[in-house]
Amino acid sequence: MIDFMFAAAIGALFSIGVFQLLRRDLIKAAIGFAILFSAINLFFVAVGAFEGEFAPYVRNVEEGRSVSDPLIQALILTAIVVSFGSLSLVLGLVNMVSRRYGTVDSNDVNKLKH
Amino acid sequence: MNLAFITASPFLLALLLSLPTVRKSVSQQIQTALTAAVMAALFFLLLLHLPDLRAQSVIIQRTDWIPSLGISLSFYLDGLALIFALIITGVGALIFFFAGYYFDDPAVYNRFNVWLLAFAGSMLLVVLSGNLLMMFVAWELTSITSFVLIGFTGDRNQAAREGAFKALFVTGGGALALIIGFVMLSAACGQLLHPDEGVRFVTDLASILAVDSLYQHEWFPIFAALILFGGLTKSAQFPFHFWLPGAMTAPTPASAYLHSATMVKAGIFLFARMSPVMYKNPLWSDLLLFFGLSTMLVGAFFALKQRDLKALLAYSTVSALGAIVAMIGLPGQNGIKAALVGIIAHALYKSALFLVAGTIDHATGTRVIDQLGGLRRQMPYMFAVTVISALSMAGVPLLLGFVAKETLLDAVLHYSAPYTLAALSVVVASAVFTATAGYMLIFDVFIKDAQDGVHFHQPPRLIRAGPILLSIGSLTLGVLIEPVIVPLLRLAVPKTFELQAFAGFNQVFWLSAIILIVALLLFAYRKPLIERIRFPISGNYIYRELISYIDWAGENVLHTQSGFVRYYLVIILGTVGAVLIASGTLTTVTAGQSLFPTDLSVNIIDLAKIFMLLLTVAAGIYTIVVREHVKAAIAYGVIGYASGVIFLIEHAPDVALVQLLVETMATVLIIIMLGRISTTIRRRVTENLWIGRHKSNFGLLRDLVISIVIGVAVFVFSLIALQNRPERESIAEWHLANSAQLNVEDVVGAIVADFRATDTLMEIAVFTTAALGVLTLLSRGRPGSAPLTSPAGSEASRTGSDSEGDDVIQDATSLSTPFTRSVSVIVLPIAILIGIAQILYGGSGPGDGFTAGVTIGLAISLWYVVLGYNEAKRQLPWFRPAFITRLGLLIALINALFPILLGKGFMGHVEFDQILGIYDFVGSFGLHVTSSLIFEISIAIAVMGGLGIIIEAIAFPREVQSLSDE
Repeated sequence: MIDFMFAAAIGALFSIGVFQLLRRDLIKAAIGFAILFSAINLFFVAVGAFEGEFAPYVRNVEEGRSVSDPLIQALILTAIVVSFGSLSLVLGLVNMVSRRYGTVDSNDVNKLKH
Repeated sequence: MNLAFITASPFLLALLLSLPTVRKSVSQQIQTALTAAVMAALFFLLLLHLPDLRAQSVIIQRTDWIPSLGISLSFYLDGLALIFALIITGVGALIFFFAGYYFDDPAVYNRFNVWLLAFAGSMLLVVLSGNLLMMFVAWELTSITSFVLIGFTGDRNQAAREGAFKALFVTGGGALALIIGFVMLSAACGQLLHPDEGVRFVTDLASILAVDSLYQHEWFPIFAALILFGGLTKSAQFPFHFWLPGAMTAPTPASAYLHSATMVKAGIFLFARMSPVMYKNPLWSDLLLFFGLSTMLVGAFFALKQRDLKALLAYSTVSALGAIVAMIGLPGQNGIKAALVGIIAHALYKSALFLVAGTIDHATGTRVIDQLGGLRRQMPYMFAVTVISALSMAGVPLLLGFVAKETLLDAVLHYSAPYTLAALSVVVASAVFTATAGYMLIFDVFIKDAQDGVHFHQPPRLIRAGPILLSIGSLTLGVLIEPVIVPLLRLAVPKTFELQAFAGFNQVFWLSAIILIVALLLFAYRKPLIERIRFPISGNYIYRELISYIDWAGENVLHTQSGFVRYYLVIILGTVGAVLIASGTLTTVTAGQSLFPTDLSVNIIDLAKIFMLLLTVAAGIYTIVVREHVKAAIAYGVIGYASGVIFLIEHAPDVALVQLLVETMATVLIIIMLGRISTTIRRRVTENLWIGRHKSNFGLLRDLVISIVIGVAVFVFSLIALQNRPERESIAEWHLANSAQLNVEDVVGAIVADFRATDTLMEIAVFTTAALGVLTLLSRGRPGSAPLTSPAGSEASRTGSDSEGDDVIQDATSLSTPFTRSVSVIVLPIAILIGIAQILYGGSGPGDGFTAGVTIGLAISLWYVVLGYNEAKRQLPWFRPAFITRLGLLIALINALFPILLGKGFMGHVEFDQILGIYDFVGSFGLHVTSSLIFEISIAIAVMGGLGIIIEAIAFPREVQSLSDE
C-alpha cells in the first residue's frame, strides 16, 4: 500500500514538474525543475530506507535493532546538494534571461532565434 | 634508474617552469640551460641501462594500478625503446638549447619551452610504456602537444590554426582507429593466453609480445589494419602525408623535434614494436612495404618542387619515413637493421637541417629558397653544418647517411622478393630525388649569388651549438659505426648482422655512386624537368572535401534541434520506453505481480507518510494553478518541507536536516530572484500563461498529455522498482560494522566524511562550480546587450533593460527596519555557534560540515536581504565569498593529500589527536580531532563561500558586475 502511494506521489510530482517545464513561464519552469529533484530524492528514500525501524546509529546497531540503510542516505545527501547547485544555476539563467531580454516568457525568447 | 622517474622528469620540469614566480624571475638563459641539462642528464641516465640490457635484453618495471582490470603502471625498456629514448633525450637536449636562442621574447619562450617539455615527456612515455593503454594515452598526448605547438602562433596566424587542426584531424582520426585496434588486439591476446576464461583483455606489452600465434588469429586482418592506419597517419605516410608540410607553421625547434626527429617516428616505433608478433602474416608486411615505398617516392619527388626551406625538409622527411616503414615491412624482419640505422641517421641530419633553416629564418626573415643565396660568407658555420648534413642526407661516403643508404639498398636487393624490381627502382629513384634536394640545399641557399632585398642580421652565437653538434654526430658516427652504433643495434635487431662504415667496392657501393651522379645531372637540369610533372590529385584536396562534408553534415544535424523542451522529452521518453519494452525487462520483472495493492491495511506511521505525500502533490498542483510567483515559490517550499518530514519518518535524520536547510535556502533564493525581476515582466507572463500561440488550447492539451504520460510512466517504473526492492547489499553492513572504530556514532556521517569522502569532495567541487557558474552568468555581459528586434521583442524591450529596477517589488531598504536589523545581528552569531556544534559533534548526531555551511549561509543571506549589498559588505568585511570558497577547497585538498605522506593513501583517516597527544584532553569534551573533522570544517567553509557567491550574484547582479568590471 505504502509502496503504491509513494509511486503515485512520485509519478504525480514528475507530471507536475514536466508540465511546468513545458509551459511558457520560465520562473515556474525553474520551480518545476526543483519539483523534479524532490521527486527523485523521494524515490531514492523510498527504495532504500524502508526496511529499518531505527536511524542508522552505532548504538542502535549495537543493541541489535534493525536500522535503515545508511549508504543510500549518504547518496541522497549528495543528490540534494548537487540538485541545489543545479537549481541555483537555473535560477541564475532565468535571472539573466529576464535582464537581457526583458521577458521571462519562453515563447518570446524562442522568437529571438528567428 | 627508475624509468618512471625518467619519464616524469620532463613533465615535472614543465610544471616547475610554468609556475608564475619561476616564469617571471628566472632568466631565459638559465631556463634554457636547465632544460637542456635535464634532457642531457636523462640521456646519460638512459645510457646507464646499457649493461643491464646486454645482460637480460629487456627491463620491465611494473607497479599494480588497477589490478582487477589487469592494468599496471609498467615501463618496458628494450633495445628498440632505448634507441628511441636516446634520440628523444639526446637530440632533444640540443634542440631545447637551440630554442633558448631562437626566441627573443622571454614570455613566448617560456610558453613554448613548457609545451615542448610536455611533448618530450609524452614521447618518452610512448616509447617506454609497457602497457598498451598507457602507450595509447601517451600517443594522444603527443598529438595534443603537437597541436598546440603547430598552432603556437595561432592567435594571429590563420595558417597556423589550419595546420594545427589538420594535424590533429589526421593523427587524431588515426588514433581512434588505433584504440579500436588495441582493444581487439588485447582481446585476441586474452583469448589466446587464457582460452577458458571468457573475455579477457591483455594489455601488458611483455605478455602480448610473447603471443607467438597472434598472426593466425581470425581478427588479425581487422586489428592489423586498424593499427596500421593509426601508425601510418601518425608517421605521415602517403596518402595521409599532407598534414606534415602543413605542420611547418610550428616554430622551427618544434618542427625539428616533433616533425622530424621524434613524433612522426611514433608510428614507426609502433610498427617496429608490433612486428615481432605480426610480421609472419604477409598482410602486415606487404601493406607496410607498399605504403612505405609509395610514401618514399611521393615525398622525395614533392620535396624538389618546394620553394620554402621547411616545406622541402618536410617532404624529404616524409620520404625518409616512408623508407623506414618499407624497411620494417621487408619479409622476415630483415629490414629492421636498415630501419634503425635510417632512424638514427635521419634524426641527426634532418634536425640539423631544420635548425639551420630556423637560424636562416631568424637571420634573414625568410625561408623562401628563391630569395636566399650567398649565405656561405655570412654564416660559415651554418654552411658547414648544411654541407655535412645535406651530404649525409644524399648518402655520401663516410657520413652516417651513407651507411643508412647502403644498408637500405642492401636490404632491398636481398630481401624484398618477390617485389625486388619494383622496390629497387622506387628506392633508387627516391634516392636520386633526395640527393638532388640535398644539393639544392647547399647550392641554392649558400653558394649561388645573394639576392637583393633580403636584410641580414647575425643571430646569437650560441644558437649554432645545436646544429654544429648534430652535424658532428652525422660526421663521426658515420665512421664510429662499430664502436657506437653496432652495440646499440645488437640490442634491438633480432638477427645477427654485420655493419661497417665502409663495406668495400661491392654492388651496393656502385649503385650508390650511380645515384649520386644521376642526382648531380638532375640537379643541373632541375628546373625544366621538375616543373613539368604534376600529380592529378592531392591528399589535401581529399581532406578539404572531407571537411566540407563534415560541415555539411553538422549543419543538417543542427536542423534537428528544435530547441523545444517537449520535443526532447518526447524523444527521450520514447527511446527509454522502446528500449524497455523491446528488451523485455519489464515483463520479466513484473511477471506474476499485480501493480495494484491487494493489502489495504495501513498503520499510523504509514498514514502520516501518506498525508505528507498528498501534501506534496497538492502543493505541486498549487504551483501550477496559482498566478503569483511568490505563492508558487512558497508552495514549492511546502513540497521540500513535506519531503523533509518523510525523511524524518523514514529514520533518516541526517537527510531530513539537510533537506530542510537546503529547501529553506532554495525557497529564499527563488524569492530573492523574484525580487530582481520586474513586476511588469512577471505580470505579463502570468497573464499570458494559459493562452497558446494561436489563441487555441492545443498547446495546453499537448503539454498536459506529454506530462501525464511521463508521470504515469514514472509511476509504473517506480512502483515496479519499489515492489522489487533488492535485498540490502553487504557494503552497507560493512559501513554499519566499522563506524564504531572511527569513534563516530552517526553511520551516515561516517560514510559522508570518511568511507566515501572522495564522493563528498567531488560533490563540494560540483557545488562550488555551480556557484561560479551563477556568478559568471550574471556578472558577464551587460543587461540588454542583445536588443530585441522581433515584434514581441519591441514590446518587451519597452519594459526591459531601460526601466529595469524601477518597479522591483522587493527593495532591500524597505526591509531594513530596526527590528529586522537586530534580528539579523543576533541570528548570525547563533548560526555560527550552531554550525560549529554541528561540525564538532557531527559524528554523534545529525548535521555535518555541509549543514553548518548552509546554516551560516542562511544567516548571512538574511544580512544581505535586510541591509542590502553595500551595507552588508561594510558590516561583514571578512565575508569575501570567492576567497572563502577557495580557502575551503584548499583546506579540503591539503587534508586529502596529507595522509599520502603518512602512507595512508588519498583521503586516508588520520587521528591528529593521537599524533599530537591530546586525545584524552579533547576526548573529555566528547571530541575527536581527525582528518574527517578537518574535512567537515573545510566543507563548511567552502559551502558558506559558495552560498555567498550565489546569493550575491542572484540578489545583486549589478553590484557584482560593476565589481568585476573594475
